[in-house]
Amino acid sequence: MIPLSHFMMISAALFCIGLFAVLSKKNAILILIGIEFMLNAAILNFVAFSKHDKLASGGQVFAVFAIVLAAATVAVTLAIVLNVYKYYKTIDPTKIDQLRD
Amino acid sequence: MNEFLPHITQLLNSAIKGFSYLLPELVLLITFILVILGDLFAPGKRSTLAFGICIAGIIISILVGWIQNLDIERIVLFDNTLVLDSVSISFKNIFSAVTILFAIFIRYNKALQEHKKGTGDLYMLLPAVLIGLNLMSMSASLLMIYLSVEMVSIASYLMVGYASADKKQTEAAMKYALFGSICSAVMLYGMSLLYAFTGSLNILDHDFLLRLNMLSDPAVSLALLLVLVGIGFKLSFVPLHFWSPDVYEGAATPVTAFLSTAPKIAGFALLIRFVEPFLLPAQPYELPEVFDFRTILAVVAIATMIIGNFSAIWQNNVKRMLAYSSIGYTGFALMAIVAFEGSGFYSLIIYFAIYSVMNMAAFMLVYKIEEHTGQTDIRAYKGLGKVLKPELICFVVVLVALTGLPPTAGFIAKLFIFSSAFEYYTSSGSVVILIMLITGAVTTVVSLFYYLKIPLFAYLRESETAIEPVKKRDFLTYVIVFLTVLLVVFGIFPGLLS
Repeated sequence: MIPLSHFMMISAALFCIGLFAVLSKKNAILILIGIEFMLNAAILNFVAFSKHDKLASGGQVFAVFAIVLAAATVAVTLAIVLNVYKYYKTIDPTKIDQLRD
Repeated sequence: MNEFLPHITQLLNSAIKGFSYLLPELVLLITFILVILGDLFAPGKRSTLAFGICIAGIIISILVGWIQNLDIERIVLFDNTLVLDSVSISFKNIFSAVTILFAIFIRYNKALQEHKKGTGDLYMLLPAVLIGLNLMSMSASLLMIYLSVEMVSIASYLMVGYASADKKQTEAAMKYALFGSICSAVMLYGMSLLYAFTGSLNILDHDFLLRLNMLSDPAVSLALLLVLVGIGFKLSFVPLHFWSPDVYEGAATPVTAFLSTAPKIAGFALLIRFVEPFLLPAQPYELPEVFDFRTILAVVAIATMIIGNFSAIWQNNVKRMLAYSSIGYTGFALMAIVAFEGSGFYSLIIYFAIYSVMNMAAFMLVYKIEEHTGQTDIRAYKGLGKVLKPELICFVVVLVALTGLPPTAGFIAKLFIFSSAFEYYTSSGSVVILIMLITGAVTTVVSLFYYLKIPLFAYLRESETAIEPVKKRDFLTYVIVFLTVLLVVFGIFPGLLS
């Protein structure tokens, strides 16, 4: 039996890796991958802790919804990134800066 | 498996009973499908059929909701997932009205109509985003909060990126989508921590607060702050505001008008639902000192008002200026949540009803001038007062309302918030609240400087080149005049609002 604290530690590590990728990567698609890491950290927590919530199994239901919504968001964002590439010929967010104060 | 069996009947009954209260949303769902089909089989030149179905569907959903909600005090649906009470019903009406105005705005926007993709798909998004907004105002469980926020977010990304006619629009869409997904991922992690701590997704659950109280304070504060990040993105309050000027400037003007109104108000509806159990627990047990929402939100409100209003002074682009001013408005509205003491969110609802009228009218006017001169720069407004006479007169009235001066409705809106915050200050005597009140008053004066820039250029500066006169006015001008009259009437007879 794996204790729940192990799941929490792994998910915290995943979240931090994702956050690091989001903050440091200079490529829109790698940032999206970082976001996926963060989402999966949360999903892991939900599934692990639904052990305490057997009757409603809210955590497992939440995990399923989160996976579906993550896929939908990524589909939309990839389409937008593709559009950006068409105009800028780069997907480095630091170089795409026509809108600024 | 067997442990579930006794509960199945109860769950099914509550689901069947719940659907009868979701009729407005079901009507919108059917509208969504009909708009897709209508636009597929009869695209027409301006997607007239899709526009008609969209408007009709939203109006039917308002009527259905109105008939059904006549005698509803407070109902909890779907096993404590949704709450239908007078607050959420008022918010739903505001969202429907804003969406109808948005549809009309799209219909009379040349840039979108001439786009090669047409506007049929944009009309399709409206019922979908309205369902999301309605659910945001009703959600009482973490799952529903996440689902509804994502529903609105995905539709908003699509709206911003929809008519990607130039570099700026695609850039705005990418910034919005990336920043939005990051914030919602952070929020989801915060929710997963809250679920881990309490074993329940329902924020109205009595055990939810009690179990949070059993944990160490830093852990709970971290989880709640992470959830606030997600809501804060929708509200664009200060540490999370920097996407909004860029997105508002880059997106098409009708989309900007919509984004700065409906999702922001829905974010407030969500924040109300989320903080309500912490500020006012339903059971008379001792309020656990879990997390001091009031102080955190008061500090955020002060920072938001200062940064929003002072940044607006330096802007030359009208859309960017209105974006910063709407950030300032967020800070002002946060005052009402900080001061919330059980007299209901009446003042906040009136504030948002008036805010949505002012904001839609302001952006419609920005578009009208953009259509005529092709500019969104304030310096290009020189001498327009002589050409676009009715438009500029309306603009001055709307700007006076945005500043919050009598005799317009903007004054009433700010007065309600101010008096409720002041009442809370006199009963609590907190210093932070006093600083918040002073900031609110000072920034209102500051806002005069940038709002009055528009009449200054339009009336007092002469244009070097001759501007051609307006040939004919379309329906949108009448809508603007109607909204402006509404602002003045509500300002003189505030009793009409209730």
